[in-house]
Amino acid sequence: MSSLEVGVQARVVGALAFRALLIQTRKAQLLIPTFLLPMVLFAVVANGASAGSRLRGFPDIGSFVGFIIPGTLVQGTLLAGMTAGIALAGDIEGGFFDRLLTAPVRRVSLVLGRLVGTAVLAIVQASFFLLIAFIAGARYEGGVGGVLLTILLAAITAVGTGGLAAAIALRTGSLSLLQSLFPLVFVLLFTAPAFFPRDLLHPALRAVAEYNPLAYIVEGMRAALHADASLGSTTNGLLAAVALAIGATALSVLAIYRRTATL
Amino acid sequence: MQRSDDDHAIVVEGLVRTYPGGLTAVDGVDLAVAPGEIYGFLGPNGAGKTTTVRILTTLLRPTAGRALVAGHDVVGDAAGVRRSIGVALQEAALDPLMTGRELLALQGALHGLRRGEAQARGSELLGRVELDDAADRRLGTYSGGMRRRLDLALALVPRPRVLFLDEPTTGLDPASRAALWREVRRLNDDGTTVFLTTQYLEEAEQLADRVGIIARGKIVAEGTPDALKERLGEPTLHVDLCDDGRLEQARGLLERFGAVSDGRAGGLAVRTPDGARAIAPVVRALDDAGIDIETVEVEEPTLDDVFLAVTGQPTSSEDTADVPA
Amino acid sequence: MNQLATTAGIGVAMWRRSLLEVVRVRGALFPTILAPAIFMLGTVGQFGRLTNLTGFPTTSYLAWIVPLSCLQAAGFAGGAAGANLARDIEQGWFDRLLTSPVPRPVLLLGPILAAMTRALVPTTAVLALGIVLGAGLPGGIAGVLLLYIAALWFCICASLWGSLLALRSRTQQIGPLIQNGVFVVVFLSTAYTPQVLLHGWLGSLARINPVTQVLRMARQATVEGFPPSWHNTWPGLLALTGMTIVLGGLALRELRRIGR
Repeated sequence: MSSLEVGVQARVVGALAFRALLIQTRKAQLLIPTFLLPMVLFAVVANGASAGSRLRGFPDIGSFVGFIIPGTLVQGTLLAGMTAGIALAGDIEGGFFDRLLTAPVRRVSLVLGRLVGTAVLAIVQASFFLLIAFIAGARYEGGVGGVLLTILLAAITAVGTGGLAAAIALRTGSLSLLQSLFPLVFVLLFTAPAFFPRDLLHPALRAVAEYNPLAYIVEGMRAALHADASLGSTTNGLLAAVALAIGATALSVLAIYRRTATL
Repeated sequence: MQRSDDDHAIVVEGLVRTYPGGLTAVDGVDLAVAPGEIYGFLGPNGAGKTTTVRILTTLLRPTAGRALVAGHDVVGDAAGVRRSIGVALQEAALDPLMTGRELLALQGALHGLRRGEAQARGSELLGRVELDDAADRRLGTYSGGMRRRLDLALALVPRPRVLFLDEPTTGLDPASRAALWREVRRLNDDGTTVFLTTQYLEEAEQLADRVGIIARGKIVAEGTPDALKERLGEPTLHVDLCDDGRLEQARGLLERFGAVSDGRAGGLAVRTPDGARAIAPVVRALDDAGIDIETVEVEEPTLDDVFLAVTGQPTSSEDTADVPA
Repeated sequence: MNQLATTAGIGVAMWRRSLLEVVRVRGALFPTILAPAIFMLGTVGQFGRLTNLTGFPTTSYLAWIVPLSCLQAAGFAGGAAGANLARDIEQGWFDRLLTSPVPRPVLLLGPILAAMTRALVPTTAVLALGIVLGAGLPGGIAGVLLLYIAALWFCICASLWGSLLALRSRTQQIGPLIQNGVFVVVFLSTAYTPQVLLHGWLGSLARINPVTQVLRMARQATVEGFPPSWHNTWPGLLALTGMTIVLGGLALRELRRIGR
């Protein structure tokens, strides 16, 4: 592509991302789950399971809420991704997608537009959650740098989950199918050390966590926020997130080409 | 002849429907449909057709006014209305996962038929709308015409006294449209009252005993198609001259009969309420001026003209397909 | 009597239609079983060590969680029925039902019956998985029966909740909100930890949350030292009755308001 075309496509991506965000903020029913649900779970776990921090084997950490907030952040990215998929499936079923296809827009840009919107949403979400946790007593020893790194991780992860959801939406074109398939991804969160350290996980789960990118991402966030390498490896987390994002984006681009090839 | 409410299939008085938000879709509609009549309900998009139909089929409540269908009040005795009507709505809302046969059986069950009865009725109707071959295929595989036909079959399951058809042939090819018209006429012969909303003036002309035109929420004209055309439409005289050079002179002479415009194939067209009666004077006028006439034709008004005169809008349908009567 | 027979016939017809959905949509059943199963495994895997805390009535976190997972699975099935209703409304299919002579409250029967039937599958699967993994059934047959009653009745409540939202919003995109509602109300209870270990606002909430009582009723199946008794059952029944009345009333009100 010439630089002129790149510029054009960049504007297109921006416009589509803007629309994605606009819709998100206008439909309360899309917004409430992405912000409220993780907070509720956070509150429940913080209250109900905080006694668990007294268990032997739990790392020495200032506050339980500081420990679990990365789990909430990743949960948030899953929900943000799912919302992107739902919005896309809604567009497909409603016919708006066809309108987009008849415009001189590159297929890739259609996908990227939605994913960029998801990333922006994740940034807002992550900032919100980190703030709430701070108010609830979390302390971020990693400082501003750690917080920014964590937010970046969240944004990249959201691109990954959004790409996955978009791929499902594009392949099936069905809102109801997406809504029933996606929870499977959601559930992967629980096979990651989201709220409890890896060592305290059930041995079987520990084995699964080895292969779960979300596990590395959560631990990476933890390490960045608390400047404590024993909690995890930020590098690994970044690698996992980027790999997830690239893989998922590729899947959704493939899906869109496959969908439009048969039209 | 004044009929009492009971004698009418549909009675509507002062019907008003205002949506929350302020939009008044129906603004005081009065109409009455006699039993066994086919009533055509015409209007441009957004005129209030669909809203009126939804009120009559108990899907919407009126803001004011009253309506009776088959003698039952749509608000006070909605259940009674639903027992007497068959409905084929615009969206042809069908479930893509079910087969035609299954859907008909379900509709039968909804109307209280036992399983055996429902299935028998379903088979009967499938034959009637010529969908036997596709009966056991899922609706997702049906073409547009097939879906409309099934929609009609579903509406007929309870042997309704009043049948509501909302734009039944929109989007259909001429052959399917003709088939549907045949079926509607047959139903009417059996005594079913039909309330038909349509954008196609030709459809109204072909099928309806009486036509009501709605615009901006009010009925602006009502009557038989012929009466409406006579009252509101103006015939046109088409004059072709032997010598086209004398066109402008002829134009000047004919202006006193009515509005003159360019006619087909280079002649002149004169809109005049006198119609055929104006032929003699027109011929004389041109003859006196020494202009030779090749042909003179009278073109009767169509509902198109009525529509335009009454709603101020041209017909909303682009294609008036040529359908064999 | 004839009216009853007609209503039964209609209910059955709509039930069959709702079930067709499950059977005919590719892979629809798969996630409804898999998700609760993985969730249960994950929860136990994550929080399993909590039983080491004093105050926990059982040493097996699995035994504690199995009834929760059953309830969640059943609740999800109920929510899905609401989401399907929302789709039917949005696509115009529900209009067809509205113009038929079926009394409107009966229109809700179809989705509810179907939800209950669909809930049976994941509930049973989760229970079976739990048993295979080592959870016992100290409550015996009575316990299991109570578990099923709790789960299926909760499913009805969830489908009433879903129907209520579906009728209000008239759009298929209300699906996530329905499911989130179910999720949240289940979590703000003794889901993860027993009442005695809860404190502060969560403790107070759990105390008044009807789901806490439902869980108590269901846990008689798997938690040892907790034999099935009327004492532990009637609060759950009361809670379920209360939820049904409230949610059912609201759903019927929405139904009556259609078209205004």
